[in-house]
Amino acid sequence: MASSSTPKYNSNSLESSSIKRTPKDGTKWEQNEEIPRLPGETRVTDKEVIYVCPFNGAVKGRLYVTNYRLYLRSVEIDPVVILDVPLGVIARIEKMGGASSRGENSYGLDITCKDMRNLRFALKQEGHSRRDIFEILTKHAFPQSHNLPFFAFVNEEKFAENGWMVYNAMSEYRRQVLSWIHPENQAVVMRSSQPLVGMSGKRNKEDERYLDIIRDANGQISKLTIYDARPNVNAVANKATGGGYEGDDAYPNAELFFLDIHNIHVMRESLKKLKDIVYPNVEESHWLSSLESTHWLEHIKLVLTGAIQVADKVSSGKSSVLVHCSDGWDRTAQLTSLAMLMLDSYYRTIVGFEVLVQKEWISFGHKFASRIGHGDKNHADADRSPIFLQFIDCVWQMSKQFPTAFEFNEQFLITILDHLYSCRFGTFLYSCESVREKEKVTERTLSLWSLINSEKAKHTNPFYTKELNRALYPVASMRHLELWVSYYIRWNPRIRQQQPNPVEQRYMELLALRDDYMRRLEELQITNNSKISNSSTSSASPSQMMSHVQTHF
Amino acid sequence: MEFAELIKTAKVENVQLSCSGLPPIKGTLCITSHHLLLSSQPGGNGEQGTVELWLLIRNVDAVEKRVANSLGTITLKCKDLKVLQLEIPGMEECLNIASSTEALSSVDSVMMMYPFFYRPQSMKLKDGWKLYPLQHYYQQIASETGAWRLSCANGDFTICSSYPPAVIVPATVNDNVLKKAARFRQGGRFPVLSYYHKKNGTVMLRSSQPLIGPNRKRCQEDEALLSAALDEGGHGFIIDTRSAQAAKQARMMGGGTEPTSSYPRWKRLHRQLERGRPLQESFIKLVEACNDTSLSMDRWLSKLESSKWLAHVKGALSTACLAAQCMEREDACVLVHGAEGTDTTLLVTALAQVILDPDCRTLAGFQGLLEREWIEAGHPFHFRYAHSAYSHARLKQEAPIFLLFLDCVWQLGRQFPFSLQFSESLLLVLFEHTYASCYGTFLCNSEKERCLCDVKEKTHSLWSWLNQPSEWKKHLNPLYTYNALVIWPSVEPQSLQLWQGLFLRWIRSSQYLDEAWAEIQRLVTSCEDAPEESAGCTLCHSQPDVAYPLTITGTANEG
Repeated sequence: MASSSTPKYNSNSLESSSIKRTPKDGTKWEQNEEIPRLPGETRVTDKEVIYVCPFNGAVKGRLYVTNYRLYLRSVEIDPVVILDVPLGVIARIEKMGGASSRGENSYGLDITCKDMRNLRFALKQEGHSRRDIFEILTKHAFPQSHNLPFFAFVNEEKFAENGWMVYNAMSEYRRQVLSWIHPENQAVVMRSSQPLVGMSGKRNKEDERYLDIIRDANGQISKLTIYDARPNVNAVANKATGGGYEGDDAYPNAELFFLDIHNIHVMRESLKKLKDIVYPNVEESHWLSSLESTHWLEHIKLVLTGAIQVADKVSSGKSSVLVHCSDGWDRTAQLTSLAMLMLDSYYRTIVGFEVLVQKEWISFGHKFASRIGHGDKNHADADRSPIFLQFIDCVWQMSKQFPTAFEFNEQFLITILDHLYSCRFGTFLYSCESVREKEKVTERTLSLWSLINSEKAKHTNPFYTKELNRALYPVASMRHLELWVSYYIRWNPRIRQQQPNPVEQRYMELLALRDDYMRRLEELQITNNSKISNSSTSSASPSQMMSHVQTHF
Repeated sequence: MEFAELIKTAKVENVQLSCSGLPPIKGTLCITSHHLLLSSQPGGNGEQGTVELWLLIRNVDAVEKRVANSLGTITLKCKDLKVLQLEIPGMEECLNIASSTEALSSVDSVMMMYPFFYRPQSMKLKDGWKLYPLQHYYQQIASETGAWRLSCANGDFTICSSYPPAVIVPATVNDNVLKKAARFRQGGRFPVLSYYHKKNGTVMLRSSQPLIGPNRKRCQEDEALLSAALDEGGHGFIIDTRSAQAAKQARMMGGGTEPTSSYPRWKRLHRQLERGRPLQESFIKLVEACNDTSLSMDRWLSKLESSKWLAHVKGALSTACLAAQCMEREDACVLVHGAEGTDTTLLVTALAQVILDPDCRTLAGFQGLLEREWIEAGHPFHFRYAHSAYSHARLKQEAPIFLLFLDCVWQLGRQFPFSLQFSESLLLVLFEHTYASCYGTFLCNSEKERCLCDVKEKTHSLWSWLNQPSEWKKHLNPLYTYNALVIWPSVEPQSLQLWQGLFLRWIRSSQYLDEAWAEIQRLVTSCEDAPEESAGCTLCHSQPDVAYPLTITGTANEG
């Protein structure tokens, strides 16, 4: 109302309509069914509950639980409110209130999710009404703790594309630890873990010799550059536990730089703080300083800065680079994969990015199982950390700064993050290749890339222009980084400016326009070429654009 | 006054020009009555004979000089926020250039300004000055309702010196009543129609504060005028852009706000919007934070916050939304005023129209809106934009209200990427030209002053330059599709962003973003025009939703 103190501009039906968004994950709806189900998905139970929505208040509805998802449909209100959450995103289920607690909706379940939201369901207080549903949810949300398989192993979906074919390790690299070879100067990016120097300053002749050989291999510059992702003090401290860094005396031909990126525990706490200020209620009065106090963007900045240094050293410094942190699968993976994204336009395509994730993250042993805690009820596990999320955030920051350089769009990144937790695909399950082989992941589960590659248009950036061999260096200054609002605060209806459909539709249209244009251009070029086949005139290629380099006067 | 008297040294050789992000250039510096020119010299690194710098001296906001040995360095801080450095051999030359620039940039007489001397060959004087007459706007209203009339009572500017000659008022109110009501409003700014909402026939009015004073004066004519604006039995909202307390305190100075007892059908809402000094200081702080490259930027976000600029953006947008909401959702008329009715009042009325009315979101419609709601409505451009964020001069009436408006429009464009027909580049051009321009559009404080100075006879209009096909094309948003719906923005702090394209324009390299934008433009326009080069870009907007019927069919509204 105009007279009330806070006008609700984009109030009412927004949230419900957005939650209601018809299943975007390709689920088939059968008309006579009460809930959407994937092939292989089975219904376990359902119950009358009250969904205590933090934005629109309590909503009466029926809660369905399957072996894959939690699904709520409101009753008695219009428009219908729908909640559709894969059980994989659940980090923790708690009982709230007791049989004697007073107050409305004070008895029920509190669910903490891994994707920046919490869910609260209130139940009737009499007759232990929540016991069954609590047990069933716990059992299916944490299958690993209950000797049950991940849903990925019972998923019977069929896709036009087979995502497991995207990446073939043997043809992708020849040497196990080599990450990327610069096509022109043969400088390489390599990765490893920290050397086991320890307090006494142990040395290892073979390791020293090995690094020397690598340095010689590109034969152009005298020193090998080693980037240690950690802050200097941490590296020193690691000596106490037997680790450390490459000392000057032992590795005289190597230059060592520290990149000041903090460890997994710091990152976890930072994201936790971020969640505190964005969910459910957004910190209003001192938004920017509270955002600053989470340090999330600062960590993003340090990771990007580190990756820029690595990339720049390789491409312009013409020196080979070795990147490591403590273990070699967290910060190292972030740095090498981002550097590769900056240097090589192949990784900016949809398939290229899938290969990058498959290679630098999955193959090289980023411990997804412990960092994400798939199907594991131990929510307080100190090994959990949003390292991969941080990497995707950095990619998003880059795509903001280079709107035409990436073949994929924001939805692609969000889809990846959603299925990082969902356990619907085998892609992110387990921590290393040996376990995956033992579990026959590629035979018994589907790949996330199958889903994405089967509906590529949805994940394509209409403004993508193919460019070869342009290195992209984002500006990693705080002033140019933004919080990824459409991911971190996507559950809050007040943040949403536009209903998703018109924008998505318009993008789809632009995509169609572009394809049409490219096709016509090709035809024109063909006719053109046949007309002037002997002249040397080169027709402007679509990817060449006018450079608008202006003198700013 | 002769310009020549102010120019102590007209020409210096071997001057080095540098600007962040570009290689330095050596050349010959010339100073003319309105420009600083630097042309590259033989043997220099620029192409010979090219003019590397062509800076309107009016654009210089602050001149800082430093002399060491025989080399002087002048730092020119411009009103459009760019910073240039000139290294000048010779101490005397340096000091002369600095003082000449300072003197020329602070010439305050309107008729001495560059627009009165600028005579491009491709343009004709008088073009572009009659593009958006109020008569046209009135005719649109008249085709819908007979409740309003065009009054020329202010033809000689005697009723209100800051109003244009013609205004739109309730048809039932005669000119005598207007004259009397004007005496009851500060500066004579009696309530006039600002916007007619076709969808439900509600209107938005604007005025200045009523002169209630400590003795609670009343004015029958003013009450009658406001009452006539309402339908029978209808009610309205008065949005006062001051806090309730400030409005009450204004009574001590002879002002005040409408008491419910004398205006029973109007409900008052107070929304405090900053203007004047606090706004200017916020602008200065923000620019300081943006330019602060020396410090580590750990504290960037809290600095950005403490400048309060985004809070002002939020305030302006939410008040405009409130006004729009009263009309669109409550079916009520609205009167907006603050104190003088020339700053925050116009900010709110103009923004509300962009939110409500798809016609204001076209390139031509937006120009019309600026003409009607800012220029003719008597926003004191001359006072407000004499200095920008760098000036050391003692500030008088400077305040970046119009910049705040442009920023809010930019936020709308960011939240609704398909709904504005014009792009960020138009907003940047408008920003530059409010502070320093070769066109007369933003000169003076009111139509009366423009008349006295013969602005419309002796200067060119910014619009006639912008509306040349080549310029027009540059400022089109390639993603635009006609959207008939109201665009309700999200005003949460998380949804508002710093306008990097303006505030970090000279700091970041926007090369990639510019390239991307050019690419998008090329992609979309080449797709749309491909079969046959379309006849001219001025027609682009006349066929809005043929190619994309989708936004119309979209659900409730875009936001």
